[in-house]
Amino acid sequence: MRTAAGPRVTPALVGSARVTGAPMEGPASSFPHIPGSWRSWLWLAVPLLFVAVFFAYPLAQIGAQSFQDKYGAGVGLANWQYELSSAAVQKATAATLKIAALSTLGALLLGTFIALALSFVPFRGAGLVTRLIETVVSFPSFLIPLAFSILYGRTGVVNSVLGQLAPGLPALNFVNDVPGVVLAEVAFYTPFVVRPLLAVFSQLPRELLDVAGSLGSGPLAIVRTVILPAGLPALAASAGLTFLLTMNEFGIILFTGAKNVMTLPMLIYTRSIVTFDMPSAAVIACIQVALSLGVYCLYRWTYKKLSGANHAAAR
Amino acid sequence: MLLHAKSARLATWTLLAAALLLLVAAPLLVTFMAAFAGSWNGVLPTGPTLRHVAGALAADNFSSLVVSLQTAVFASLLAVLLGTWAAVCSASAAASPGLARVADAVFHLPAAVPSVVVGLGLLTAFSKPPLLLNGTVAIVVVAQSMLVLAFAYSTVSAAARGQDPMVALAAASLGASRLRVLLTVRLPLLLPDIAAAAGLAVALCMGELGATVMVYPASWRTLPVTVFALVDRGALFDAAANTLVLLAVTVTVLAVIAKCRGNSAVR
Amino acid sequence: MLSTMKKSRRAAPAAGHPTPAAAVVPENAVELRDVSVSYGTTVALSGLSLAVARGETVALLGPSGSGKSTALKAIAGFERPCSGRVVLDGVDVTDASPARRGIGVVVQQYALFPHMRVDANVAYGLKARRMPKPEIAARVKVMLEMVGMEGHAHKLPRQLSGGQQQRVAIARALAIRPQVLLLDEPLSALDASLRAEMLLELKALRAELPDIAMVYVTHDQSEALTLADRIAVMRNARLEEIGTAEQLYSRPAGAFTAKFLGGASLLPAISTTVVPDGGAMGSVLAGAHRMKAVAPFAVNPGGRVLVAVRPHAWKLAAGSPAAAAGWAGDGAGDGYTVNSLPGRVESVQWRGAGHRLQVDLIGLSERVTVDLPAMAAVPAPGDLVVLTVEPQHAVLVPAGEL
Repeated sequence: MRTAAGPRVTPALVGSARVTGAPMEGPASSFPHIPGSWRSWLWLAVPLLFVAVFFAYPLAQIGAQSFQDKYGAGVGLANWQYELSSAAVQKATAATLKIAALSTLGALLLGTFIALALSFVPFRGAGLVTRLIETVVSFPSFLIPLAFSILYGRTGVVNSVLGQLAPGLPALNFVNDVPGVVLAEVAFYTPFVVRPLLAVFSQLPRELLDVAGSLGSGPLAIVRTVILPAGLPALAASAGLTFLLTMNEFGIILFTGAKNVMTLPMLIYTRSIVTFDMPSAAVIACIQVALSLGVYCLYRWTYKKLSGANHAAAR
Repeated sequence: MLLHAKSARLATWTLLAAALLLLVAAPLLVTFMAAFAGSWNGVLPTGPTLRHVAGALAADNFSSLVVSLQTAVFASLLAVLLGTWAAVCSASAAASPGLARVADAVFHLPAAVPSVVVGLGLLTAFSKPPLLLNGTVAIVVVAQSMLVLAFAYSTVSAAARGQDPMVALAAASLGASRLRVLLTVRLPLLLPDIAAAAGLAVALCMGELGATVMVYPASWRTLPVTVFALVDRGALFDAAANTLVLLAVTVTVLAVIAKCRGNSAVR
Repeated sequence: MLSTMKKSRRAAPAAGHPTPAAAVVPENAVELRDVSVSYGTTVALSGLSLAVARGETVALLGPSGSGKSTALKAIAGFERPCSGRVVLDGVDVTDASPARRGIGVVVQQYALFPHMRVDANVAYGLKARRMPKPEIAARVKVMLEMVGMEGHAHKLPRQLSGGQQQRVAIARALAIRPQVLLLDEPLSALDASLRAEMLLELKALRAELPDIAMVYVTHDQSEALTLADRIAVMRNARLEEIGTAEQLYSRPAGAFTAKFLGGASLLPAISTTVVPDGGAMGSVLAGAHRMKAVAPFAVNPGGRVLVAVRPHAWKLAAGSPAAAAGWAGDGAGDGYTVNSLPGRVESVQWRGAGHRLQVDLIGLSERVTVDLPAMAAVPAPGDLVVLTVEPQHAVLVPAGEL
């Protein structure tokens, strides 16, 4: 850069009016919209159209179908009355919710432990392990029940081994039943809990833990009073998301041998593809969608509340 | 550093290893071993054989693999294109907060609904006029892309909103039109996340079962459907072999995407 | 290049704001006419009117939240005013997008394009204007040489240090030969020593670009004093005062400016004489002490004013501890000189170039800051001293709210 010139003297080109701002408020308008906002809506139209045609319209058709019989004639609420009072549907609903709750709980417990261990008890391969966990999300969901069948199935490895070691014991037979489903779902959905928690925990300053420790807190107390509260929004969000996903899960149930475990998605499949009872499938689908959307809204609302509260507390 | 006592750390690591064994290692390992197993009656399989894997790559199953790959690629392309389009719109400076909220709600919705319902809907709606898609390849592609659209949108929109708005404003102040800013600044900076979204989408589509099983025509069977048929018949080892092939192909596609992303300009 | 830019701006005169025809006075490069910006219920800028002439540097100086950055963004087109007009070179650009305003902006975090090399960054605006490639290459070379970055043309921004990134940002903004250069706290992301160096370089750069109007936002008064022809002091989304550095320094119009620019101590006082117009000396009574100071505005007896004295204007009277001991008893006395205030030293801080004392005045419950040059004999905390100030180095300031 060239060397600095001597000090410049600039005559004040415009008189130095002594302007003191008169006390005046601008009109209280909302955040100023640049006039392109209408254009943004127009640009959004194409993706919106795709969702409208291939998602909203089909859902509407399902709704319409639920009021019709096999041949398309309208039957009013007959289908609904029948299905809502049928034992099969009620059992399936209960089973769906039970499995979802158990799986969510298991995934939360296991996932929180894993996230805590990876974040706060560091070891040399921790990064690699984290990436490995993230790859599990890309597995097909039926991989796990398949592996479990091979391992724990009635004619599986564990049973053969046990049969040789201790012939008197009854064979393990949980894979094709609710415990098998729950175990498989926990295995599959734990990474969904671990990932957001890892992100949140990585932002927690390490000094916070050191200070808490120096003040006399033991590790469990630190987890309870410092780490978990910070992770609460992420935990709640993961819980909500996992509950939603396990409620909707189909692949795992299908591969687990659905005779013993009938959930709502499974019921929809059997009614429509296996027995071609479309109206019945439509009604059950509506019930399932109502449940799913309800859980989804609850999850978004809880997350907003909790992360809002966290931000307020952090300030 | 949460735990200071060596014993506590060792205990934690042991538990962690056990948990990871259950989650990640066991399913993969078992599938791998079963794919090459002649029979498996003890702790370890016996009689290593290639016939399951050979079967997995034989005519029928191989065509399932190709079908899966094609469907996954097209569906992912569609989902990533639309998802990025919607994400860029909703994150743009000209978008009102209302638009962003509507976009978030609408594009996350398909993920809240079970895949079988998405499939059932497509089946119901497009088995009759005005648009007949029943029994075509298109309906399978649409089904899968609708399911992964939410993930693609979510990934790209999070990245787009995290972009420093000043960079786009600086570009505008230098005289660039909105289109030029989009093409030369905003999209290139989103490329890593778009690639990540594409990878995730492909992986999800390859393993998709719920919607596919509702809408697939007999001539367009994807690999997961084939695997299910095998399991239903009790041919677990063949199913494991097919699953292994599925995994291998998925991982390869992901690696290719990651490589392409690695070659482009780095942030 | 310049002519095409001017043409595009003149092509669209805004309705209701006729372009001044055949103006005798050269148009201002930048004019804000009563501009207000608010977000929901928060008022970020309230009724700002400001004019910057071609070739002039105006600094917007104020604490955070004073609205200075918002004013800059309004000029740039990054924020849309909810009332008022923004006029560049006589053309109303309030509704124009940033791309069409012909301005160059350097922001605090530089906002370089991370995925482009340095030369591509600098060339960006030129490419957007569809300049021919060879001309772009030549211009980029010139700009990089101007900021001393010609050896770094092939690097990516993340390979550069903060100071280097800032120079590239400046080169990028100047490459398009804007009429107005806007800088939003460009030095605040740098560390102190680098800041001083960059400040001098900015001053030299300014000398090489005599036709550009520059608006410089900062919270640091030394940057404003070094670079600006005029300083606009801003506070609470409003313009407090505008004037040359010399005017604001020696005749601040308000208590805030006196404190913010130069850190003056303000002593509440009652005027005891009439000063019909500003300019003469005024006599006041600060507590029990008589003082004489410059009165830049009209004062009447009994009016409440503040006496502003900058830390370096105070002097310690000779033999002060002894003289001060005489004050320990009653307060005012006629025999004592004007502008002579006793006090007790509360703390002494060595600052390398001198000492900074905090002195609690006796008879007036105020604590003043006193800067003593390095060689002066320094009292110890607890000592009694007498502070004096020359009348022409003290100035009266209206007693508004601080």
